[in-house]
Amino acid sequence: MIAQAFDYAAPKTLDEAMTLIAAGAKPLAGGMSLIPMMKLRLAAPEQLVDLARVKDLNYIRESGNQLHIGATATHYAVESSALVRAKCPLLAAAAASIGDVQVRNVGTIGGSVAHADPAADYPAALQALDAQIVIRGAKSERTVSAADFFVDAFTTALETGEIVREIVVPMEDSSTSYQKAPQPASGFALVGVAVRVRKNGDRIASARIGVTGLANKSFRASAAEKALEGTAGTAADVQKAAALVPQGVDANSDLHASADYRKHLASVYAARALTAALS
Amino acid sequence: MKISGTYTLPFPRERTFALMQDPEALARAIPGCEGLQHVGPDEYKMKMKMALASLSGAFEGKVRISDSVPPESFRLIVEGSGRIGFMKGEGLLTLAAVEGGTDVSYDGEAQVGGTMAAVGQRLIDGTAKMMIKRFFEKLAAEAAS
Amino acid sequence: MATTITKTELLVGKRIRRREDPRLITGTATYVDDIQMPGMHHAIVLRSPHAAAKILSINTRAAEGTPGVVAVFTGKDTKHVGPVPCGASLPGLRVPHHYILATDRVYFVGHPVAVVVATDKYLARDAADKIEVDYDVLKAVADPEKALAVGAPAVHPEWPDNTAFNYHQEGGEVDKAFADAEVVIKQRITSQRLIPTAMETRGVVAEWHAADRQLNLHSSTQIPHLLRSLVAGMLGLEENRVRVITPEVGGGFGSKLNVYAEEALMGFVAMQIGKPVKWIESRRENFLCTIQGRGHVDYYELAAKKDGTILAIKLKIVQDLGAYHQLLTPAIPTLSVLMMPGLYRTKNIRADVVGVFTNCVPTDAYRGAGRPEATHGIERMVDILADELKMDPAEIRLKNFVTPEEFPYPTATGLTYDTGNYAAPLEKALGIVDYKNLLKEQAAARQQGKVMGIGISTYGEICAFGPSPATPAGGWESATVKIEPSGKVTVMTGACPHGQGEETTFAQIAADELGVDIDDVLVIRGDTAIVQYGIGTFGSRATAVGGAALYFALQDLKAKIKKFGGMLLESDDVSYSGGEVICNKTGASKPLSEIAGATYRAMKLPPNTEPGLVATYFWEPPNFTFPFGAHIVITDIDRDTGQVKIRRYVAVDDCGNLINPLIVDGQVHGGVAQGVGQALWEQAVYDDSGQLITGELMDYALPRAHMMPWIESHHTITPTNVNPLGVKGVGEAGTIGASPAVVNSVVDALSPLGVRHIDMPLSPEKIWKLMGGNN
Repeated sequence: MIAQAFDYAAPKTLDEAMTLIAAGAKPLAGGMSLIPMMKLRLAAPEQLVDLARVKDLNYIRESGNQLHIGATATHYAVESSALVRAKCPLLAAAAASIGDVQVRNVGTIGGSVAHADPAADYPAALQALDAQIVIRGAKSERTVSAADFFVDAFTTALETGEIVREIVVPMEDSSTSYQKAPQPASGFALVGVAVRVRKNGDRIASARIGVTGLANKSFRASAAEKALEGTAGTAADVQKAAALVPQGVDANSDLHASADYRKHLASVYAARALTAALS
Repeated sequence: MKISGTYTLPFPRERTFALMQDPEALARAIPGCEGLQHVGPDEYKMKMKMALASLSGAFEGKVRISDSVPPESFRLIVEGSGRIGFMKGEGLLTLAAVEGGTDVSYDGEAQVGGTMAAVGQRLIDGTAKMMIKRFFEKLAAEAAS
Repeated sequence: MATTITKTELLVGKRIRRREDPRLITGTATYVDDIQMPGMHHAIVLRSPHAAAKILSINTRAAEGTPGVVAVFTGKDTKHVGPVPCGASLPGLRVPHHYILATDRVYFVGHPVAVVVATDKYLARDAADKIEVDYDVLKAVADPEKALAVGAPAVHPEWPDNTAFNYHQEGGEVDKAFADAEVVIKQRITSQRLIPTAMETRGVVAEWHAADRQLNLHSSTQIPHLLRSLVAGMLGLEENRVRVITPEVGGGFGSKLNVYAEEALMGFVAMQIGKPVKWIESRRENFLCTIQGRGHVDYYELAAKKDGTILAIKLKIVQDLGAYHQLLTPAIPTLSVLMMPGLYRTKNIRADVVGVFTNCVPTDAYRGAGRPEATHGIERMVDILADELKMDPAEIRLKNFVTPEEFPYPTATGLTYDTGNYAAPLEKALGIVDYKNLLKEQAAARQQGKVMGIGISTYGEICAFGPSPATPAGGWESATVKIEPSGKVTVMTGACPHGQGEETTFAQIAADELGVDIDDVLVIRGDTAIVQYGIGTFGSRATAVGGAALYFALQDLKAKIKKFGGMLLESDDVSYSGGEVICNKTGASKPLSEIAGATYRAMKLPPNTEPGLVATYFWEPPNFTFPFGAHIVITDIDRDTGQVKIRRYVAVDDCGNLINPLIVDGQVHGGVAQGVGQALWEQAVYDDSGQLITGELMDYALPRAHMMPWIESHHTITPTNVNPLGVKGVGEAGTIGASPAVVNSVVDALSPLGVRHIDMPLSPEKIWKLMGGNN
């Protein structure tokens, strides 16, 4: 549990950080995934750029009808922010279900998103929220939707030299819920389902279902969403839609849950999340 | 860990079989492979660099092909070891002609050891899948060449 | 003049806060890793990544050439160091020679292969990466039943059957009982491998003073004196030239009741380099190389009458030993055999144990050590019998209990149960949960399609290890009490604690006996140069044996205090109470502080009496103690997911008298957490090639606070007559009672589906499948 030697820089500005990253340094946010890997020598970056002192990466603010969350906002900051709780409770709920309080005090939203662990909690919520990920490169910025950002296990749309700068989520009047079956050792999601539904009168006008833990990447359960839209959201509608969530998914299997069980959990937790959101 | 699946490659069966025995094509397709060096009949030394999330490591190993039944099937054995652990995969690949290409079915066992095995449990299945997918995607891309 | 406060209020039996906690919770305690010494070097142990391999060559040149590296040692350098000792003996036991570093072969993942010593741990770690070991990887076997199969890879080539020993024990007339039986039930029951996971990993600092031939070994251990004797032997040093210092120990659970290769290895290194050296085990090493617990596959057969009377029990144990014997490895399953009768009047017992080598880290004592396995099996079998006979699980237990008038009760396994009232905790627990109404509630819940379970376990334990003839290294314990000239009291216990709170409980005992304030008592332990020889803390023995030794030392001192007090009061008729010697005729008194001063000043001595106020007592217990209890667990199972929720956990433990109920509750809580952990989550999983795939806390699910139910801890009190304190021991009770209570509850919940047994851990997926899975 002793890391290899590495250089360490902790610049105060994003420009300085980006210059070092462009030169090949590895960005360090909360370090909740990177540091253990380094201690086990599974990772051995030559240089770390600690983003903790870059003030303009650590914020939560509203602008128009959107919430902007800086990459180094901690899970605890997101979970406890009055603004997030009031305007985007789904994101606060996902943050609150991450790991344990020690991890949430240090881990960051940008770090988690960039790491793209297939069982992380945020991606489910970001998929359901149609979140935008603002990516900063050496010279320019671009914005990618959550759906396009998560490519595969630990693989994102980030190119070499780019970092996640900001997460943008909508503030809107919708009903949401995040429901998760935690793996007992790690606290990661065996399966986690985030839903966001909006009703128009007594009909569901739009439904968004983000799933994590089930497959190699988080995804939106589009078939289930479509099945739900236009219905009254009765218990039967919910069950029907929830059953579609794992359909056709190449589910992961490990020591803690087989692919079959994961798929089953995905249906169960989708139904629970939908029921909670609709109630 | 058992691994099995099927991937469709856009080549006729004979071409697919030949491609999958071609060290240069294999070297291009095996994720992280930095070259295959012929050391014996159907046996190659391999250097490989694996990078996944923050995990990274160099491996040295062997690729071996056995029980070749052209153009139907063969056995592929890949072994590698490095500071972060070692891995071994062995599987039977079966080729079946289908419309527009060839279905390659694989069925085998993968084993991981060392530090990687202890910390990567919940990641190994997904990672193996991803690497196999990348392998076939790269092979498929050979169509263009 | 120092003052000693006299007092009359008794402290034994009071919920007194632990006196050791302020330093622990303020981070000011000293653990091995906190020790710094001038010139101290750091060691990193290179370990095998393979479970079985021949070592073809080791090239250490690059590592040795790394700046800051002072030495690299391999097995050929340490061959002459004595083997890692096995303290257990069984007839015909095969004991592989356990070198401190592998020589020509490695036997499990984590097997130490080389040690790198450098000026700092980072350099040492970097250099370890540069050692090239050429392995010829061999086939390994990680499962004990597979290891017994014909043609299995041989863990030790000299013993191709992988069998370390066969052990047989029998009492009564088993065959006749089975022939007479009206009902026979059979069940295979496993008790999975567990990782003890003390919060503080192991660690050693060794310093060698060559001129004095003196080795100081700071180690996180449960047994400082035994470690000293054994490490001295391994290194060829005189026992009195080795000093073991045990600073704060952050938990052990049995995993530090051992002598490890690294303890001798660091001694060797310090002697070679002439500088102090520190080795701190990483969590990963702790998972790979520190002993693990359990590892049983048990085959039970139980014979009974139709009225529920248990006639006989047969048991075959397949014990996964791992690749070597650590200190007590082969002895652990024999404790399971001793415990087989449980609390029941079963006079016919047959046990066959086969100890099996596997390419895994050795198993050894882990909280309960052999007794949880047995209790789990017996308590499961009783429930299965109840199910077979359609009897109530509480009723069948009450029917078979040894009754209070039968004590001392000789068991079929050769033990004599000291005292007991086995129905008392069960009836109390049944009352607390309102059992009759609970059964009605369950029936109603089932009507509504809910899956609710009620689980009972009535466990017995063997504690207070133990009479010396029954233990490998002596079963007595020692205490020294020194009353300083000022009247302040220093207690030195040989039962070195590692979190059990003896600094508080032993001070309570001393304060009460001497009638002094608890703050006047200091409890010292864990330094072999200061404390008289002792055995250590394990097997729920510290208070029941070490506390008793303290009690007797205090009686000796009190007699001497009375002699001096009588001399000062010029009376033969005196008594000692409240910290004073009082003349029974005149009522005149002398406080302890004054008497203590007089014993050291020695102006005048009573006849045939030495100066000073010091007493040492080595107490040999006449028997084990046998605590017992009843745990009831109510579970609700999520129909959709198989998740088990413990709604209520009621523990009624009878551990005899309670010295400090707060500490007793703490022990019960911790024990229950580990028992629930085994029942629901924990499992060390090896793949077929011997790789530990639950190698980190990311995959090995330890119970955390938020996963635990509220534990309702209650007691009945049946004092033992084995020791004068009437205490039986409680350190392992929770662990022993918990796993069968939880599993019985879950099996009960699923019993309408015909489920009779589930092996631990009770993962939601397992339960979901039993409930029909996707169908």
